[in-house]
Amino acid sequence: MAEKWTLGKAASLAGVLLLAAVVLHPFLWLFVSTFKFEQELLKYPPAFFAGEYTFSQYVKVWDRIPLLDFFVNTVVFAASVAVISVFLDSMAGYAFARIRFKGNRFLFALVLMTLMVPYQVMMIPLFVEVYKFGLLDTYWGLILPRAASALGIFLMRSFFVSLPKDLEESARVDGLGEFRIYRSIMLPLCKSAMVTLGIFHLMNNWNDLLYPLMMTSSTEMRTLSAGIAMFVGQRSIEYGATLAASTLSLLPLLIAYAFAQRYFVQGVATSGLKG
Amino acid sequence: MPIARAHPVFIRPRAIGRQIRSEGVLIMTKVVRFFKKPEGAAYLFIFPALAILLVFTVVPLAATLVFSLLNMDIFLQGFSFAGLDKFRKLLGDERFWNALKNTVYFTVLQVPLQIGLALAAAAFLTRSTPFRKMLRSVYFLPYVCSLTAIGIMWSFLLDPQTGLYMHYLERIGLPRLAFLRDPDLAMPTVIAMTVWRNFGYSMVILIAGMQSIPQTYYEAAQMDGAGKVRQFFSITLPLLVPALSFCVITATIAALQVFDQIFVTTQGGPVHATESVVFYIYLTGFRLVPFDLGYASAMSVFLFLVIMAVTLAMNRYFLNREVSGN
Repeated sequence: MAEKWTLGKAASLAGVLLLAAVVLHPFLWLFVSTFKFEQELLKYPPAFFAGEYTFSQYVKVWDRIPLLDFFVNTVVFAASVAVISVFLDSMAGYAFARIRFKGNRFLFALVLMTLMVPYQVMMIPLFVEVYKFGLLDTYWGLILPRAASALGIFLMRSFFVSLPKDLEESARVDGLGEFRIYRSIMLPLCKSAMVTLGIFHLMNNWNDLLYPLMMTSSTEMRTLSAGIAMFVGQRSIEYGATLAASTLSLLPLLIAYAFAQRYFVQGVATSGLKG
Repeated sequence: MPIARAHPVFIRPRAIGRQIRSEGVLIMTKVVRFFKKPEGAAYLFIFPALAILLVFTVVPLAATLVFSLLNMDIFLQGFSFAGLDKFRKLLGDERFWNALKNTVYFTVLQVPLQIGLALAAAAFLTRSTPFRKMLRSVYFLPYVCSLTAIGIMWSFLLDPQTGLYMHYLERIGLPRLAFLRDPDLAMPTVIAMTVWRNFGYSMVILIAGMQSIPQTYYEAAQMDGAGKVRQFFSITLPLLVPALSFCVITATIAALQVFDQIFVTTQGGPVHATESVVFYIYLTGFRLVPFDLGYASAMSVFLFLVIMAVTLAMNRYFLNREVSGN
């Protein structure tokens, strides 16, 4: 900040700080409110802070809705998708980037085309398909359709393309098999790209609503997003418990974001640049 | 390679049975050899991912087209060919046109607001702003959160009876507004909420784009006496077109498919004022008797065509405006 302070600079700083306040204020209210009593939440005029605080909403909420089921389902769904998809995407991306084979270009163009198909357009046949496979309302039904992603293949391919040429040649001369090359030479190099992609998948699937809403039908199979939305939609849950459930559903990703922010931001930034 | 080594032993002209077996072994050997070569191994590498994309994206997409020509419901019994009936129904369905109008309304307002705010934030954050990194994390924060939680949070804050922001409005002398419960205000409120959540996402992409612009351009411009504003419009913006076009196009595609925030906050109401196309597709297929999957598919096909047309048009528009950085 060696440059001198001008009025314009001060104004723009005030602007960005104000924007930050607008972004943060609702979250702070949410967090504070989860410690309020029910009557405090329903009174008018409302206030940001309460006279006294309680932890009871966080205790109560587990009885009001099957939140533990939602948590387990979300973790199983989002984490499995992230791990499996990163693995399959990186394998495909590696082959597309570094091996010449018949159909490479054609098949990759096909992958790019599926990238352009919005989920909402094909969700009904997908639902019918998963139903016909007998996988509706099961973990596999949730995970399998997301087990590979065109975007993931695309990003991993761009990453592998950027690695130095002839990286694998000497290994091939030494007689290493293709899978060994992929596993022991390539994978260690793309750890951070894989973590970035994994976090990206984790975040998107953790937060997704429409997809898990369609692929599950029983309350016990709902994810956090879909389950909480259903209960709120039916208005069958109190104010305080709703806020506590929402906060709890956000917490794991927010904690991860606090510690591994780089990966969250990178996933988005690279998908934009490469696109 | 035990098979390869074993194979000469097997070939004995007299033993026909063995020969057949040996041919099997030979093919096996060839197959194994093929997949050991890089070209062959490549197919093994791509197979799992491509199989999943084929089964769960390509097939459903093709099936959408077929379904849109059928009479079928969620119980999948008694299919019959409907021809273009579903599309004819669509043309005369006022509720569908209302949903389309709402979706266009949402898109036309939400996308420019989101990109504009993102661009402004990105422009201010790449300079020597204090707390730059912290601010960037703060702006991106809502994007990490599910629209379910965000929708709940905002509908409570804007609740006509107990909402805190309602109270703030009153305190500064403004009338109490029903926001999400008011047919005229519901959509603008959903739009504002979406912009609030997503602008950080676009901003991150734009910042990355800005950082890839060589610093020398700005130094040269400075020497020519161009001010910061001039630099932004003459250097940053033109060179940002690739990142900007990506942001605009993805935001538009997402906006045309808006669903989550509507499902959580308004359920399409009040009086269908926020009912989007995807929300209506969802209702038609899964909530409204007779669960008309055929009709829902016809609407999906229509939406797909709209999205495709818009994407292609935008792509064209931006490609013409792209300048080379070299």
